[in-house]
Amino acid sequence: MDYLINILLLAVGTALINNFILHYFVGICPFIGVSRRVDMAFGMGAAVTFVMTVAVLLSWLLTGYILQPGAPLSTWLWRTFGGDASVTVDLTILNYIVYIFVIAFAVQLVEMYVRKFFPPLYKAFGVFLPLITTNCAILFACLEIMKHVGGAQYWDIGTSLVYAVAGGAGFTLAIVIMAGIREELDHADVPKPLHGPGITLIIAGILALAFMGFTGVDKNLRAKLVKDDSGAPAAKSPQKAQKPAAPAIMEQ
Amino acid sequence: MTDQTTNTKKPAKLSYLGQGWLVLVLAGGFGGLLAYVESNLKPKIEQNKADFTLTAIPELVPGATKGKPFVRNGLTVFEALDDQDKLLGWVISTAGDGFADRIELLIGLDVPATTVTGIKVLSQKETPGLGAKIEKPDTFSKQFIGKSATSPIGVAKGKPAGNQVQAITGATVSSEAVASIMNKAMAAFRADLPAEARQ
Amino acid sequence: MSNGGPTAFERFINGILPENPVYRQVLGTCPTLAVTNGMRSGMTMAAAVLFVMICSNIIVSLIRGLLRPHLRILVFTLTIATFVTVADRVLAAYMYDMSRQLGPYIPLIIVNCIIICRCEVCASKQGVWRSAWDAIGQGLGFALALASICTVREVLGNGTWFDIPLGWHNADQYKWIVMILPPGAFITLGVLMGLVNWFGESRARKQARAAQAQLEPVEAR
Repeated sequence: MDYLINILLLAVGTALINNFILHYFVGICPFIGVSRRVDMAFGMGAAVTFVMTVAVLLSWLLTGYILQPGAPLSTWLWRTFGGDASVTVDLTILNYIVYIFVIAFAVQLVEMYVRKFFPPLYKAFGVFLPLITTNCAILFACLEIMKHVGGAQYWDIGTSLVYAVAGGAGFTLAIVIMAGIREELDHADVPKPLHGPGITLIIAGILALAFMGFTGVDKNLRAKLVKDDSGAPAAKSPQKAQKPAAPAIMEQ
Repeated sequence: MTDQTTNTKKPAKLSYLGQGWLVLVLAGGFGGLLAYVESNLKPKIEQNKADFTLTAIPELVPGATKGKPFVRNGLTVFEALDDQDKLLGWVISTAGDGFADRIELLIGLDVPATTVTGIKVLSQKETPGLGAKIEKPDTFSKQFIGKSATSPIGVAKGKPAGNQVQAITGATVSSEAVASIMNKAMAAFRADLPAEARQ
Repeated sequence: MSNGGPTAFERFINGILPENPVYRQVLGTCPTLAVTNGMRSGMTMAAAVLFVMICSNIIVSLIRGLLRPHLRILVFTLTIATFVTVADRVLAAYMYDMSRQLGPYIPLIIVNCIIICRCEVCASKQGVWRSAWDAIGQGLGFALALASICTVREVLGNGTWFDIPLGWHNADQYKWIVMILPPGAFITLGVLMGLVNWFGESRARKQARAAQAQLEPVEAR
C-alpha cells in the first residue's frame, strides 16, 4: 500500500509539478516546433512517451547490471577473464555514450515494431520517431534513472517505468495545451517580430507560471493518504511539534 | 570508389566490417581517451565528493577540524574530531522532502547528543527568495544552535518560545520541513546512541 | 573539398550574429532556458559547449573524407558523447560546486542540436581550419545569447551580476523573483527574441530604403 502511494505521488509530481518541459526545460525543440496543431502535438507526445518508456527500461537494466560501480554482470565478466578480484569494476564513465545509443536503438526498435504490428499507430506518429533521438527529454529521463539506481533514493524497475510514463504524460499534456492555445492564436493579432518562437515562449512562460501552482500538491495528497504522516511536513505539524516541546522546557 | 566495388563482391560480414571500420577505430580511440581522463581525474572527483561534507564539519561542531564517517541506524554520521583525535561531537547527514524537492542537511550535535551545535543546508531547490532562505545562516539556520535535541524542535510563525525557531516569512512549509527532517534524524540517532555518547 | 563555401572568417562572424544559434536558428533552447538564472552557471555552460563543439568539429572535419552517409550521424553522436563525458569529468574535478549546480544539463549537451547541426552543415564538408573557426564563432554566439539572458534574469531576479551585488540585493521588495524561476526564463527568451527580430527587421528596412534612395536619382536623371 505504501509502495502504491509512493508511486502515485511520484507520478503526480513528475507529470504536474516537475513537468519535463515547464520545470526542467527539456524537450523544448519539439515543444516549439511541433505545437501548431493539436493532433500533431498529441502524436508527438505519444511517440515520446512510448520511446521514453522503452529507453528507461533498457537504461535501468544496463545501469543496474553493467554500468554502475560493482555491477553484477560486468564484475562477473571481469573475474571470468582473469581480472583482479579486489578491483571494483566501475564503468560509470561510459554512461552517457551508452544512454545515447540506447535511445537511438529504442527509437529504431519502436519504429520497426509499430510499423509491423500497428500500421494505424505508425501513420499517426511514425513521422515523429526519427526526430526523437535528439530529444533532450528522453536522455534526461535516462539520467534521472542513473541518479536513482546507484544513489540514495533507490528506484526499482516499477518505479522507474512509472516515472517514464508519467514524464511522458506531462510532456504530452504541456505540448497539447500549447497546441490548443496556438490554434487560437492564429486569429490573434501578434506583433510581427514575435511571430513563431517568440510568442510561443512567452505563452510557455505563462503556462509555467500556472503550473507552479501545483507545487506542494503531492505533499498535501500524501498527508491525506497517509494517516500517520511520517514522511512529509503536513500542514498540521507545528501544533504536533509544539505539544511535546512543552515538557522539554520544564526539564530545563 | 574501388573500396566499395570490392566490398560488394565480398561476403556480407566483411562488407559490414569494411563500412564500419571507421566507427570501430573511433570507438577504440575514444575509449582510450576516456580511460586516460578517468584514471587521471577519478581520485580528484572522489576527493571532491568527500570534501563536500567534510569541509562543513568545523562550522557545525566548534573546535572540530576533521570527521570520520560511519553508518548507524540507516544514517551517515561523522565523528567530529579535533587535531588530537578527541571526540567533540557528531555530524548527522540526512535528507527529506521540502516544499519543492529534497532538502539535504548536516546537523551538528554535542558529544552526549542533547544539544544542536549547528546545521547546514547542503542542497535544496526551494523557491528562490522565499524557501531558499533556509540556506542563509544569518536569518534561519543560526536559530537552531543551542536548541535541545532530546525533544522535537518546533516552528513558530510569531515569536519563538522554548524549543522553537521562528519560521521564514512566507516560507513556513520550508521552515517546517527543515525542522521535521532534523527531528526525524535526531530521534533515529538518539534511539541507538554510540557508546561514547552515553557516558 | 575545402575550397568553396564560406571562408573561416565568414564562418566566424556568421556564428556570432547573423546566424546566432539561439536567436536566429532557435537551436539549443534547453540549456539556454535551464542554466541562465545566473551569469556564472551560464558562462560555465557556454564554455563547456564551446569546448565540445571545437573538439567534435575538428575530429569530424579530419575524418570527413572517410564518412559513409548512413553512418554519419552515428559517428557525430559518438564523437560528441565522448567529449561531453570529458567535459563533465573535468568540471567535476575542478569546479565541483558548478558541476553539482548544472547537474544533468552538462550531459544534455549531447543532444544539443547546435553541435550536431554544425557537424552536419560545416565540419563534414569543410577543412579543419574553417571548421574550427566555425565552432568558435557559433560557440561565442551561443555564449553571447546566454550572457544576454543571464544578465536580464540575474539583475532583475537576484540583484546581482556574476554574483557581484548591485546595491539592492538585500532588499527583497526590489527583486523580481519570478525571473530566476522557470517562467522568467521563457518570458525573457521570448521577449529578447522578439527584440532581436525587431532590430533585424528595422535594419533591413533601412537598408532597403537606402538602396532605393540611391536608385531614385539615377532614374530622375
